[in-house]
Amino acid sequence: MGRVVGIDLGTTFSLIAYLDAQTGRPRCIPGPYGETLCPSVVSVDADGSIIVGEPARRRLLTQPERTIYSVKRLMGRGVADVQDELKLFPFRIDAESGNVIRVRLGEKRFTPPEISAFILRELKSWAEEFFKEAVDRAVITVPAYFNDAQRQATKDAGRLAGLEVLRLVNEPTAAALAYGLHQQQRGRVAVYDFGGGTFDISILKLISTTEGDIYQVLSTNGDTHLGGDDIDNALLALARGEIRKQSGADLGQQSEALQELRKALIRAKHELSGVEKTTVRFALPSGSSYVREIKRAELDELIRPILARTMAPVKMAMADAKLKPPEMDEVVLVGGSTRIPLVRQTVGEYFGRAPHCELNPDEVVALGAAVQADILETGVKNMLLLDVTPLSLGIETMGGVVAKIIPRNSTIPASASELFTTGVEKQTGIDLHVLQGERELAKDCRSLARFQLKVPPGPAGLARVEVKFLIDANGILQVAARDLRTSEERSIEVQPSYGLNDAEVERMLEESIEYAEQDFAERQLIEANNEAETMLRATEKTLREQPDALLPSEERRTINTAVTNLRAAREGTDYKQVRARVDELNQATMHLAELVMNSAMHTALEGKRLEDV
Amino acid sequence: MSVTKTRADAGATMVCWSCRTATDGGHFCAACGKIQPLPRDADYFAFFGLPRKLRVDLDELEQRFHQLSWKLHPDNFVRAGEDERNLSLERSSELNDAFRTLRDPIARVEYLLARAGVRKEGAAKQQAPPELLEEVFELNESLDELRQARESGAHLGALRERLGAAQKNFQEKLDEVDAELETIFGEWDRAMDASADGAAQGALMVRMNEILNRRSYVRNLVANVQKELAEA
Repeated sequence: MGRVVGIDLGTTFSLIAYLDAQTGRPRCIPGPYGETLCPSVVSVDADGSIIVGEPARRRLLTQPERTIYSVKRLMGRGVADVQDELKLFPFRIDAESGNVIRVRLGEKRFTPPEISAFILRELKSWAEEFFKEAVDRAVITVPAYFNDAQRQATKDAGRLAGLEVLRLVNEPTAAALAYGLHQQQRGRVAVYDFGGGTFDISILKLISTTEGDIYQVLSTNGDTHLGGDDIDNALLALARGEIRKQSGADLGQQSEALQELRKALIRAKHELSGVEKTTVRFALPSGSSYVREIKRAELDELIRPILARTMAPVKMAMADAKLKPPEMDEVVLVGGSTRIPLVRQTVGEYFGRAPHCELNPDEVVALGAAVQADILETGVKNMLLLDVTPLSLGIETMGGVVAKIIPRNSTIPASASELFTTGVEKQTGIDLHVLQGERELAKDCRSLARFQLKVPPGPAGLARVEVKFLIDANGILQVAARDLRTSEERSIEVQPSYGLNDAEVERMLEESIEYAEQDFAERQLIEANNEAETMLRATEKTLREQPDALLPSEERRTINTAVTNLRAAREGTDYKQVRARVDELNQATMHLAELVMNSAMHTALEGKRLEDV
Repeated sequence: MSVTKTRADAGATMVCWSCRTATDGGHFCAACGKIQPLPRDADYFAFFGLPRKLRVDLDELEQRFHQLSWKLHPDNFVRAGEDERNLSLERSSELNDAFRTLRDPIARVEYLLARAGVRKEGAAKQQAPPELLEEVFELNESLDELRQARESGAHLGALRERLGAAQKNFQEKLDEVDAELETIFGEWDRAMDASADGAAQGALMVRMNEILNRRSYVRNLVANVQKELAEA
C-alpha cells in the first residue's frame, strides 16, 4: 500500500499535507513552484490534455472558455440549484444536464466530480513526487454544512482520482484538530471558517480522558455558498458599474477583460487587509483606463452585509450547543477570508475575546486532515473525533410534511429505524422519499433520494418492513431494509436525486484509470527524457574538455556506446528503456566523474557527482 | 446516499461470529475480543450497562459515552475487514443514538414507555386536560382576537398584554408538569430498586404516559402563543 495524505479540496485553493513521522507534526507538501497552495482551477487544452493549478489560473486570462474555477460551488447540485450562481460565475453549463451538472470546457463536457478529480490527481502527483512513492489513500475535507449529495460528490471525486477516501472530515473540525495538537487546547472552542466559497461555524468541546483527547463537535451551522468569492463579486459589480458610467462600455461579454479586472480587484482586496488604501489600475479594452482608489472603510461597507450572513449561523450554532458567547474558552479563525480585519474584529466582538489565528489560515484545514489520516492509518491512539450531521434527516409523510427521524447535530454515526406497511390490498411497493433540511415541508428541504420498498402482495397492513437509515462517519446516508415477518434483507434500488449513480461512477472510473495510466507513463517519459538530456549534455561537454591523455581510449569507447544507446532509447516512448540507458551511461562515466572531481577542472560538472547532475 | 447490506443476524443463541464462543450480547467477545453484532432486543439502558432508572447522573453517562466511543468508533476499524467495519458502524451508531436519547429526560422516559409498549410514537393524545379546559378556551379566544386584530390593523397593545400573561400562566403550568415528572421519576427508581412487580411498574408507566401527554399539550400551547406573539 502507498502513503496516506490529508487533502483540503477548497473552492479557491487546494492543499495536500502529511504527518511527518519524525516530528509528529503535520506539514503541507509543496508543488513544482514551491507553493503549498494549488489554485483550484482546471483548464482543458486544445489537444485534450488537462492543466491544473497555477498554469491553469494563468489560462483564466488567455483561455477563459477552456478554464474553470470555483467548481466546488457546483458539487452535488442540479442545474436548477445554481441559477443564481450562473449570474455571477462564468460557468458554461449544459442546459439539459438536469440533476447532474455538466460543464463545457472547450470541446469536452465534465461533471463537477470529474473536474475536482483533476485537482485531486494534481495534488496526488505533488505528493508522489515528494515521497517518491505512490499515494493511494486520503482523508478529504468538506465544509461542515455540506449535505449528503455534496459529500457523495466529493467522495466520487476522490475515487475518480484513484484515491481510496478513508474519511471525509469537516473542515472546521480538521482545523480544531490541528490547533488542538499545536496548542494543547482544552475546553469549549468555536471554529469560524470563512473560506473562498463556503462558510462554517462549529462549536466543539475538547475533553481529556484517560485514553486520550476527544474532540466532540456539539453543533455546526453554515452556508455552503458564501465566501470570499462573494466579496470579489461585490467589488466586481461596483467596478463594472463605474466603468459603464465612465466609458459607456460593458465588460459583460468580454470575459478576458472581466477576468483581468477580477484579478486586479482581488489583489486590492488582499492589500487592504494590510494597508488603509490602495489603487486599482485597469486598462480597458477601449484603450482608456479605469483608475480607482479604494479605502479599507469602503471595502468594509461592501463586506458588512456578507459578514452579517455569517453571524446568523454563528448564533444558531451557539443556541444548538446551548452555550452563550462568554462560556467559550477559545475562538479559532480559519480560511483566507478571516485575514480581513473587519472579520476578525466582528468575530472577536461577538465572542468577547481575541480570536486565534496563529496557524496559517490557508493551511490549517489540510494540516488537520493529515492528522486524521495518520490516526486512521496507524489506529486510534490518543485522539478521537466525534463529529455531527449538520442537517436533520427526514422522510416525506402525508400531505408533503417531513417527519424528522435524525435531528441535526446528532453525533455520527447516527441511525433511525422506521416501520412501514401497506395501505391498500395487493400493494406491491411502498414509495419513500428521503430528505435533508430543517423546514416543515418536503418541497423546502433537499431531496436525497426516492425509492420503492418491494413487498409481497397481501391484505393492507400485513407487510411489515423495517427501514434503517444510517448516517456514517462521513456524513453520508446508507439505507437498508428488512422484512420483519421473514427477517429477510430487502434490496433497495436507490436513485440519488442529485449526483451520479454507481454505474456512472464506474464508467468514469474506467475512463479515469485509462487517463491515469496514460498520464503516469507520459509524465515518466518526460521526466526520463529530461534527465537523459541533462546527462548527455554534461557528458559531451566533459568529454570535449577532457584531455585525451587522461582518459583511456577503451573507456572513451564505452562512454560513446552508452551515449549512442541512450540517444536511441530517447527516440522511443518507453520510459523504462530511457531510465535503463541513463543508468548505463551513469555507470560508464563513473570514472570520468572522479577524474573531473580530482583535477578540479572548471567543467559543467564542477562540485557535483555526475549522477547528481 | 449508498445502499448497504445490514447486520449479520444475531441468532437465537448468541455465539461469537469469529470464535464461536457463547456471548452475553456485550460489545466484544470475552474470548477473542472481536466486536459483536447488536442483539435483536438491544436496549439503550443495557447498552450503557445502566439499570432502567429515570434519574440519570449526566456526568457519569457522558463519561461512559466517551469510554465506549474510544472502543466502538469506526476510526478504530478502518483497517479491519468489511464485516467488522459494519459491526462498528452498527454499534457506534447505536451508542450515539442511545446517548442522544438518555441524556434528555423527556426522550429518556418516552423511550422507556415506548419499549414497554405503553406509549406509541407520534400518537400522543391532543385532547385538552379537563382541569385546563376553561383556560385553554379563553386562550384560544384571545388568539382568535389577536389574528383578527392583526388582519384589520387594529391596536394590539391590550391583547398582547393579555396573551403575554396567558403565556406566562401556561409556562408555569409546564414547570409544574416537569416537577410532577421529576417526582414520579423518583417513584419509578424506588420501585426498580425494590424490584416491584409488573403490575406496579405498569401502573407507574400509565401515570407517566398521562403526564407526558399533558406536558406535550401544554408545551404546544406555549409554543403557539410565542409564535403568534412574535408574528404580531
